Amino acid sequence: MMLLVVLAIPLVGAALLWRATNRLATTLHAVTAASTLAAALAVAVAVNAGETLVAFDGLLRADALSAWMIALIGIVSGLAASEAPRYVVPGGPRRFYPIFHLFVFTMLLAVSTDDVGLMWVAVEGTTLASVFLVNFERTRASLEASYKYLLICSVGIAIAFLGTVLVYFAGIQQFGDETHALRYTTLLRLAPGLSPRVIELAFVFLVVGYGTKAGLAPMHTWLPDAHSEAPAPVSALMSGVLLSVGVYAIVRFKPAVDAAAGPAFARGIMLVLGLLSIAVAAAFLWTSPNYKRALAYSSVEHIGLVCLGLGFGGPVGTAGALLHVANHALAKSTSFLLSGRIRSAYGSAEIASVRGVMKHMPRTGAAFLASILALAGLPPFGLFVSELMIFAAGFKQGFPLVAGLALLLLVIAFAGLLRAVHRILYGAPAREPVGEVAGWRSAVPVAAALGVLVLTGLAWPPGFGEALDRLVAIVSP
Amino acid sequence: MTTASNLLAFLCLAITLLIVWRQSWPARLRLFAAQSLLLAILAGTIGVLAQRRALLLVAAVVVVVKVWAIPRVLARIGSGAPVRRIAPGRSSGIALLVAGALVVAAYVVMLPVTAAAELPTGSAIPLAFAMALIGLALCVTGRDALSHILGFLVFENGIFGLAILATYGLPSIVEAGVFLDVLVIVLIMEAVVVQVRREHASIDVDRLRELRG
Repeated sequence: MMLLVVLAIPLVGAALLWRATNRLATTLHAVTAASTLAAALAVAVAVNAGETLVAFDGLLRADALSAWMIALIGIVSGLAASEAPRYVVPGGPRRFYPIFHLFVFTMLLAVSTDDVGLMWVAVEGTTLASVFLVNFERTRASLEASYKYLLICSVGIAIAFLGTVLVYFAGIQQFGDETHALRYTTLLRLAPGLSPRVIELAFVFLVVGYGTKAGLAPMHTWLPDAHSEAPAPVSALMSGVLLSVGVYAIVRFKPAVDAAAGPAFARGIMLVLGLLSIAVAAAFLWTSPNYKRALAYSSVEHIGLVCLGLGFGGPVGTAGALLHVANHALAKSTSFLLSGRIRSAYGSAEIASVRGVMKHMPRTGAAFLASILALAGLPPFGLFVSELMIFAAGFKQGFPLVAGLALLLLVIAFAGLLRAVHRILYGAPAREPVGEVAGWRSAVPVAAALGVLVLTGLAWPPGFGEALDRLVAIVSP
Repeated sequence: MTTASNLLAFLCLAITLLIVWRQSWPARLRLFAAQSLLLAILAGTIGVLAQRRALLLVAAVVVVVKVWAIPRVLARIGSGAPVRRIAPGRSSGIALLVAGALVVAAYVVMLPVTAAAELPTGSAIPLAFAMALIGLALCVTGRDALSHILGFLVFENGIFGLAILATYGLPSIVEAGVFLDVLVIVLIMEAVVVQVRREHASIDVDRLRELRG
């Protein structure tokens, strides 16, 4: 029931918002976003108390991993929603709000179903919904970005469909019952009897397909364009949680693949793609001329790190990877929202034409710097802890070479990102910015996100470690 | 059943090769419609022979969506484009060779699947996969939006064919999702192409070169 509510809220909200305008739209939007957040947190609390939520004969199902993602989507969409009214100007392009909530709905659906077929449909739905949001500003660049995004992700997701077909093919020969053969609970039960070669082939297609959505190199080419051209709240959603939904899809298949083909197969793929993503990001972080693009490449880096953590495996590596998903979601969405404020003040996202943010927009600049330091993995922020866990797992599980190389690349990426940010934060601007975004209302969401990041970095609330343990039990049983 | 599915899948692949060979857009479009019709016949035949009612419905939907609706939209998109002349330095000979190599690759990649297949239609799986691979190649190497869309659709047809041959079709909720998805992608593509054309007076995506680095 609770699961139905959390899915229904954004859907109903989107329907109501379709025709709404002006103040009514803004109010409805706020109400929808707030209730999505509340319902998502309620689901997380209920599942964390040990309950697995089920609806429609198990078609919808939320275990601890789903609840983790639902909570994340709720929080990040709340964060992004709080910034959205700044981008919806009267008389401008319409339908931002309804498509925004539709987008949130598709992401929530993707993580709260037991059926990998329905999950595929939902993940595809995320592309179709968000492509309008990427092209919301209707500039030449955003048009190009949305074209690339739609084409590359459609092809990617079709490859994931091929993988899903092969999984179904392997499952149905074991199982027979057609309505349940695509359930991951069923797949996991049958996994030891599934043909290992077919499952390996399927997993390759699934990783390439969902990896495209997750932004793993070398399938990441759509990502810097789409993330830098979309309005900031959309970039925040895409970088923060859409990529994580892609990772989630891979994670859902991983236990079954490990059981059918042995853990070495999936591990090898994850390690190679993870390392490659970090390397690509490290290189492009140095050459990117645009700070929103730099943030987008930083997402490639962090998703690569998550992949490494999953590849290293073990309780620490898996927990580190899933914690990193959450930390990255918070830090990256915050930095995208702030970069949007900088962009609208200076009228440009080029690094070369923005100078002296610290002087002219001290609060935004300080918060932006904090979020960048968090992304760079410095204490006291949560990413420091999750990266530490990932690398500890790497050395402990016997991959010192991979972990060492990744660390080196991380340092390069770190320097590249800081160099870009340093240039926009300090110095004398050629043109005076329009001014600081004022008012406590714009400060609260950002402060809250940074506060949570300090919390996951310094002091885990009671029960947090146990919650992570429950996730690990699902991903690497 | 094996003979029928092999024959139909082979014809679909043959049409894919023809799409690679032909360079004129209207001809390619007609070939795509013919290929989709053959897929519908494939689904219908298996539906009758294996007594799967759901597949008959799927066949009907294929006819409506892929034989009728999508080619209409594509024709509308392409109506502004001149009949494509062969670009200098590009002959279909090499493309056909590559396509041939992809067919061989498809057989190699699909070995574990055909080995595990128990259905009588299993032997045609590599043919469908080859179709998908060639479609993917068309999509990736395409120079304008129309070739991208067409390549994607051929790719999708191949995967769809593979799904029918390997499993007699997926559960209906997934199938419905797939059809809706393809239709929406084509419609969005149309909207995007219309906007590109307005801004650039061409559908050559080579001109989309602003985002770099």
